[in-house]
Amino acid sequence: MQSKRQLQKESTRKKIIEAAYKVYAGQGFTAPTAAIAKEAGVSHGTIFVHFSSLEELQCYLIQDFGNTLGLEIHCLAETGSNTEELLKAHLNALAKHENFYIRLIAEKSLLPEDTQMAFANIQSIMAYHFSKVIEREGQNQAIKNIPLHLMFNTWMGLLHYYLLNKDFFSPDQPLLLRYGPELIGTFAELIKK
Amino acid sequence: MKICIACGMPMQEAAEFACGDTGKDYCVHCARPDGSMQSFEEKKAGMIQFIIKTQGFDKKAAAQMAESSMKKLPAWKEYFV
Ligand SMILES: [Zn+2]
Repeated sequence: MQSKRQLQKESTRKKIIEAAYKVYAGQGFTAPTAAIAKEAGVSHGTIFVHFSSLEELQCYLIQDFGNTLGLEIHCLAETGSNTEELLKAHLNALAKHENFYIRLIAEKSLLPEDTQMAFANIQSIMAYHFSKVIEREGQNQAIKNIPLHLMFNTWMGLLHYYLLNKDFFSPDQPLLLRYGPELIGTFAELIKK
Repeated sequence: MKICIACGMPMQEAAEFACGDTGKDYCVHCARPDGSMQSFEEKKAGMIQFIIKTQGFDKKAAAQMAESSMKKLPAWKEYFV
């Protein structure tokens, strides 16, 4: 059983993680750790009791984000049977952390290499489910004969273009909520035979 | 929920496990035709090929990605000491 002190330590760690999500989503990955400490309501030094370095905190966060996202997409993809349903699952998972994800794709090159790799592997999970659905639908002759990677990259390109230009497309409300159905419908129409 | 020790995929349905055997620690994609687990080299080559096929990345970058994800998986610990 955990002692009271361990429980308290665990709860402080959780607070720091939640604060970091919020601060990075709002200010980007160059935000000072002092801002995270303030948001979490802890002293600056407390952060480094839980994470040995800024790099460790960021890496943990992106892996945690990736694990959650990967699991959500996996579970939803298994129940979804066609491309539209998979893309809907993809956007639903992203919509929960829209601003954090936008920061992640916009500021990727600022992150440590390990963290960038962790993020690349999250996209591979989506690519895996995407390829499974497309191959299944391709067997039913329902989909145009386009190389798999180009089909996936076209979807990701479209999605990221909208997200990276959220300030123009949807400055005041969540972008995926507003454009998700249109993007999915259009992409599905483009690849259909 | 179990996670494949060799590729990290979550496994729920029996069909996702090697040989449809929920007692196994690795998934259907990490099994050889005879049901045994793929070797490090086999898995790495398979991952690289898969990344290229599904995302069109450069071979060297795909290899880096494969290694970085294998590094975190229990099945391949001894290859990264
Ligand atoms: Zn596996």
